[in-house]
Amino acid sequence: MLLRSLKLHIIQCGFAPVVLQVSRTCSNMPLSDTHQSPDNAVSGKQVKSERKLVVPSNSRFIYPEFLPDPKMEWRNSLREKLERLDMIQRRKHIDIPEFYVGSILAVTSSNQHAPNKATRFVGICIQRLGCGLRANITLRNVIKHVGTEIKYQLYDPTIQKIEVLRLEKRLDDELLYLRDAPNEYSTFDENMEAEYLPEGTPVPVNTTLVKLKPRPWRARWERKNMKGLADLELEERFYKRAEELATPWEKYDLMKQYRRTIPEEEQKEIFAEVCSELHEVEVMRKKLKRKKVFVKPTRSS
Amino acid sequence: MNQAEVSQLISKLRIRISPRHKNLKCPEGPQGRLNKLRKTVNALFKYERLELNYTIADETRGYAERLISEAIRHGDTHKPTMEMADYWIEEKQLIHKLFKVLVPRFSDYKTSYTMLYRAPKAYPDIVYPRSVLELRGNPFPSILPQRIDQRNFIHNILLEEAKKAYRAEKYEQITKSLNEQDVVDK
Repeated sequence: MLLRSLKLHIIQCGFAPVVLQVSRTCSNMPLSDTHQSPDNAVSGKQVKSERKLVVPSNSRFIYPEFLPDPKMEWRNSLREKLERLDMIQRRKHIDIPEFYVGSILAVTSSNQHAPNKATRFVGICIQRLGCGLRANITLRNVIKHVGTEIKYQLYDPTIQKIEVLRLEKRLDDELLYLRDAPNEYSTFDENMEAEYLPEGTPVPVNTTLVKLKPRPWRARWERKNMKGLADLELEERFYKRAEELATPWEKYDLMKQYRRTIPEEEQKEIFAEVCSELHEVEVMRKKLKRKKVFVKPTRSS
Repeated sequence: MNQAEVSQLISKLRIRISPRHKNLKCPEGPQGRLNKLRKTVNALFKYERLELNYTIADETRGYAERLISEAIRHGDTHKPTMEMADYWIEEKQLIHKLFKVLVPRFSDYKTSYTMLYRAPKAYPDIVYPRSVLELRGNPFPSILPQRIDQRNFIHNILLEEAKKAYRAEKYEQITKSLNEQDVVDK
């Protein structure tokens, strides 16, 4: 939204006034929101008293999409900031919960062709990619004996609801090998109920080892050093070739690591900016939940 | 569209870093490139000041800075850091230097730990841009000419005073000669 309005401004007027416009919208946006609805204003006051909130150290795992793309040529502080604002705006409308690759999610999205105008897809998250507004996840499930995957943009306005049915991690950061595994590894009940994990407990790690179907595969998994794969049972030559192509020196390439990450100081800045707002949204959501539980008795004549 | 790696936290370097690495013309590929850089990093920790080709100096600088910042961040009891130091420093006594000399030296620095200067090319022998890479706080005299306030040196003060005295004497002579001329005119 903001980005689009910015583009319009650029078309309408010269560059110098645009910058002014942007800075104004940046500073005003959260304020104007708090003025509009009484609910927000109350939560805003609460947060002001708790301003000394310490940014939790695991924010980078929970909200990885708030960190910008580390590719230096593509960095643009203003664009990143605007994107973060837009993301928070979207998070005010739908709850994007904490989840990891390997968690089982249910995503309800608008679909004009469905009878009730929405479809719900349950599946295991096999990939989490991208950052900013383009962050996306891939869900996989086997439906009627056919492996099905749907890629959802996390901040897509057509998404109505994201639920976490089972919060857990797997041994790998990507579970694309489930495509080459028997169906039983990626079959999940569509009517599965959400499993409750008490607050404050560490996220459990699922250590199941996946046994792949015999070759051919979609990738040469013996070369990828996957921790979650059982013995691949290949001929000796495959392992030999994998050893030839391995790059064991890469873990010592300090600058390569540096170019792939966002340094700690920048991360702190970003999360300090974002966390208070996210906390505000969380408090608001908890309040709404409590409100929903309490049903006002109505007079029946 | 990439996602930042979050598995480990890294401190920010206080030097300018080019968006892409230099390949350094290595027939052995990326491993050979690291071997080349390992030599210069090792030499930098040993001699604290090197004259190198600009490209290789610029690449080395990043690795040396990262190694020092990791050592400051985690200390010598952190196993991965020690492993990294063991890989990058070939002369093992220099690992002690890194943790016992360089870490205390740089731990409260607010600037970069190294300096990179452009050095003159010796035309027509060397055509590639040369540079000097050094660790800050090294024992050598500085590369840039130091501008010291020399007015308060004793010989300068004496000379200044002598000049003043000479001038005063001259003025006196001039006034005297003018007075004499006036008398003659009358």
